[in-house]
Amino acid sequence: MSSPSTSSKLERFGEHMRREWQLYVMLLPLVIWLFVFLYKPMYGLQIAFKDYSIFRGVSGSPWVGFEHFERLFTNDQFLRALKNTVVISFYSLVFGFPMPIILALMFNEVLNRMFKKTSQTIVYLPHFISSVIIAGIVITAFSPSAGIVNTVMGWFGLEPIYFLTKPEWFRPIFIGTGIWQESGFQSIVYLAAIAGVSPTLYESAVVDGASRWQMMWKITIPSILPTIIIMLIIRIGNILEVSFEMVILLYQPATYETADVVNSYIFRQGIQAGQYDFAAAAGLFNAVIAFALVMAANTISKRYSRTSLW
Amino acid sequence: MSGVSLEGIVKAYGAVQVVHGVDLEVQEKEFVVLVGPSGCGKSTTLRMIAGLEEISGGELTIDGRVMNRVAPKDRDVAMVFQNYALYPHLNVAENIAFGLRIRKEPKDKIESQIKEVAGILGLTEYLERRPADLSGGQRQRVAMGRAIVRNPKVFLFDEPLSNLDAKLRTQMRAEIKRLHKRLGVTSIYVTHDQVEAMTLADRIVVMNDGRIEQIGSPMDLFLNPANTFVAAFLGAPPMNLVEATMTSDTVAEFNGQSISLPKLDALKNSTGRAVTLGIRPEFVEVADPSVKSQVKIDVDLIETLGSEALVHATLGEKPFVIRTETIGKLEVLDNVSGFTIDPKLVRVFDAETGVALPGQVHEQ
Repeated sequence: MSSPSTSSKLERFGEHMRREWQLYVMLLPLVIWLFVFLYKPMYGLQIAFKDYSIFRGVSGSPWVGFEHFERLFTNDQFLRALKNTVVISFYSLVFGFPMPIILALMFNEVLNRMFKKTSQTIVYLPHFISSVIIAGIVITAFSPSAGIVNTVMGWFGLEPIYFLTKPEWFRPIFIGTGIWQESGFQSIVYLAAIAGVSPTLYESAVVDGASRWQMMWKITIPSILPTIIIMLIIRIGNILEVSFEMVILLYQPATYETADVVNSYIFRQGIQAGQYDFAAAAGLFNAVIAFALVMAANTISKRYSRTSLW
Repeated sequence: MSGVSLEGIVKAYGAVQVVHGVDLEVQEKEFVVLVGPSGCGKSTTLRMIAGLEEISGGELTIDGRVMNRVAPKDRDVAMVFQNYALYPHLNVAENIAFGLRIRKEPKDKIESQIKEVAGILGLTEYLERRPADLSGGQRQRVAMGRAIVRNPKVFLFDEPLSNLDAKLRTQMRAEIKRLHKRLGVTSIYVTHDQVEAMTLADRIVVMNDGRIEQIGSPMDLFLNPANTFVAAFLGAPPMNLVEATMTSDTVAEFNGQSISLPKLDALKNSTGRAVTLGIRPEFVEVADPSVKSQVKIDVDLIETLGSEALVHATLGEKPFVIRTETIGKLEVLDNVSGFTIDPKLVRVFDAETGVALPGQVHEQ
């Protein structure tokens, strides 16, 4: 039996739907999309606990409990992929997270409008280029025969290096590519936060005798700190979500040692090797960890910055 | 001498000139208020004094030193902003100390000055709080603390009370006045509120459209407005302005009624000349129908404020307001049909230029 408050809430919701039906109609396509592409596939998640066969189907396959998960945690390749995911995410966080903040602070200091707009456009541009093209550019740039990097190295008498076949070079190239592709676009968030800082704070500081450097450290950065914290927490929540299409485009068996991440491992096992149940278990594990991180990040954010995603 | 001098100060944004040659001498320890409607150039003038706006023309001197190209930090001025300009991430003590820390003053000096300023402004118990946890009045006090602690030669106030409610504004007004008496620092204060100007200023500068209309003490401006703009801007309610035509050297006529005027050289042989008569709402006596030679008005509404009342009427087809005492006049107010006025209290302006005719000085 529903409580009176629940029924009154339902009544209010019903009344709201009748009154504002146009809004609900507009919402409908998104709800359908969410259901078809995100919720309905969840039904298939159960194969992570089954000995799945295409012929028997999802419901007809027998249950095997946590067998796939046990296999997962004794599988060296998965553990390596998990380690690579965490390491790549950690370095991306350390080197990639501050970049958009630094860029935004630098743009904020540029006084020449023309120069500012041009440089902003240049750094935003890579975000709008397809990952496939970005990967193509990277592969070409690091090519041992005609790549610009090896050409420049040649000017200094250095031997060419086939960077993309060397495991030790994969992470710097991958992380650097990510920073190049996304930092500019991500700086928009911080530029918006900087735009929200009251100009009189700066004017007051000018009268007090603050230099631009002091104003940046004592006004701009503290003022955008809540935004920085929120972005950091969201980033931590997504730590296992390494851009896997870029990994797939850049890695090769020679670099699996440092390049193979959970998502690329799932792709290989699930799609290429046809072990759908095993890949589903790995994917589910990834999703559960990501969910826990997002929850934890949201709770920390709510507690310390009074801002939360929900 | 910590005076401020503006000589022919001009501000232009490209081809658009917004301040047209302002001349002003602010004496040491003087409290000068720049007042005028929005967009009259008063804040721009203040910001040029602070160094926040470049001066397009003219010369600014502070303490005898030309400041046109001197950086704001080297002008030895402190500014209080309309929206307080407090750093939200710093507590009250840190906000007050900001300017001193920037200038790398010794720690013990900063500590002692924070204590002293907090004591003066009654902020001692709030030193650990952040601006978000303070009321509007407290925030404004912190903003003033930031200015005071630097011990500058000149205080600049840019509409500091505009964000406060009416009651708090009155309180803070008195506090600013007391503070100025205590510290004796040269102060330039910008406001659009003529009551603030009248109550705070040693001298008021009335600005309009980028120009100074008149400079003088509050009472001088109230009694002897130089033109119809100042007359209509200062005073609450403002001066009534009536279009009239001279019928002799001392009598003017409007809407079939006549009124006696002061004897002025400027009105000799002026029959037929168009003039504007300025009549302060406080200077007239309400009259019932029994009073002879009254100026008739059509009363719309009487607002009783306790000891005073405002009579809202029309004269011709224009609004006319009278401010009168209520004690002993309630019977007259019930039957008010017009007013009388001492001719010496009528201010006569040229109808075309709006400038007050010469020879009219009302002593305070």
